Amino acid sequence: MTLPVMLLLNVLIVVLLGVIARFVKLGKQESAEGWNLAFTNRDLILMAVIAAISGVVNTGTGILWSAANAAGGPLAGAALQGAFMWAYILAFFLVRKPGAMVIVGVLDTAVEALLGNPSGIATIGWGVTQGIAAEVVLAICSYSSFSWFSLGLAGAAASQFGTVWTAYLFGWDTTPEVVSQYWLASPINLVSGFVLSGLLGLALGKMIARTGLVRATRSS
Amino acid sequence: MSEQLLAYVEKESPFHRADALSKLLWVILVVLATFQFQTTLSRAMMFLALLFTALVVARVPWRSFWRVSPLIFGVAVLLGAFHYAVTPRFTPLFSMGSYVIFREPLEAGGAYFFRLAIMVLASFLLIWTTDTYQLMVGLAYLGLPYRYAFAIFMALRYIPLIQREVEAVQAAHAIRGRAVQSPLKHRFRLWQRYLFTVIVNGLRKAENTAIAIESRGFGAYPQRTYWKEFRWTRSGILLVLIFVFFSLALIVWERFLF
Repeated sequence: MTLPVMLLLNVLIVVLLGVIARFVKLGKQESAEGWNLAFTNRDLILMAVIAAISGVVNTGTGILWSAANAAGGPLAGAALQGAFMWAYILAFFLVRKPGAMVIVGVLDTAVEALLGNPSGIATIGWGVTQGIAAEVVLAICSYSSFSWFSLGLAGAAASQFGTVWTAYLFGWDTTPEVVSQYWLASPINLVSGFVLSGLLGLALGKMIARTGLVRATRSS
Repeated sequence: MSEQLLAYVEKESPFHRADALSKLLWVILVVLATFQFQTTLSRAMMFLALLFTALVVARVPWRSFWRVSPLIFGVAVLLGAFHYAVTPRFTPLFSMGSYVIFREPLEAGGAYFFRLAIMVLASFLLIWTTDTYQLMVGLAYLGLPYRYAFAIFMALRYIPLIQREVEAVQAAHAIRGRAVQSPLKHRFRLWQRYLFTVIVNGLRKAENTAIAIESRGFGAYPQRTYWKEFRWTRSGILLVLIFVFFSLALIVWERFLF
């Protein structure tokens, strides 16, 4: 299976997750700002700080994840694959505007690259792919409302779509055995992203909202 | 954690004098060229060229290079070993006792090793020799709205603050008797607490920063001025041109002459 086919199948997975998020309404629905793309200074600084924090936090995990994936292939790092995108979900929870997740993704991975991610500047590729996938899920929901379920699916989509960049970078399309490992790992990637990114990001957002310390938490 | 492995080191070298955008362009060029190479030998030559650029042209201290070498080579070695193990074997090259080395896995392992090592070394070289402020001004020069460029700069500015914050929170927890040498579950809970505290403190700082910059009218005008304007430099353009010719020469050599 070639890389374009893997990309196409992953796009279909992301769109499918978006459609599920749109039509299956589970949990309490919270409102977002719809297609409001006007980021205020406060939004930009919040996203920058969240990206810096996640960049620092994720750098150690990134080294472990890279080593596992490089040495053992797609299955070895799958459980950790979803541990990087909690910041995207947290940023969306606080900012609630389209593009917040992809901006945090790019900034977070840029910080990781600067702090010594063993993939260098190519780390930004994960920020872009993962951020876009999470955005697509919430774009299909028109950015109008979200719940734990839709944010979980956004995390899952981000986690799975990020593996396209890994497949390109680490050469996971070279032999049929590795390709079959790649698809075997996808359910693990999805669950990992749902829990470690979607639910963790939302939980952090709600904890921050409860503190009442930050003006950014709005009235949610 | 407080001492950053990778940071800009101010030095006097032709590489340091090159402008930030040329160096960014150079990294992209090196990465793209590496993906175009078809033989391990071409990638090895590119890697040697980068090593020469780092140690001789950019005068990166051996000590800095040595300290980050596990990051440059660690994952690359593992990736090379993985591809060596999974690549089908057809052509025997030589044997060591009863163990036969085949051409295909050696080629694949070497290819992935050098591909990753080149990418990481080029990125690190950019970090060692480029002031992030200059990079931000350069990105604004390219047309990125300055508020977004400022967000990038802000994220980078916050890194040392957050690292110190993590240390302070860890110390505070340790004083209260919550040592790190504890069972995994407890360590996970500690981790959650660190993360939450660091995020809340970070967001509070972000709020204050937002109020401060807005009260100074940041973002009121579509353009802004910089104390140091971006300018393309001769050394930067030369660096890009040298590597364009070097990459093209390697591609021509491996496809038509090798």
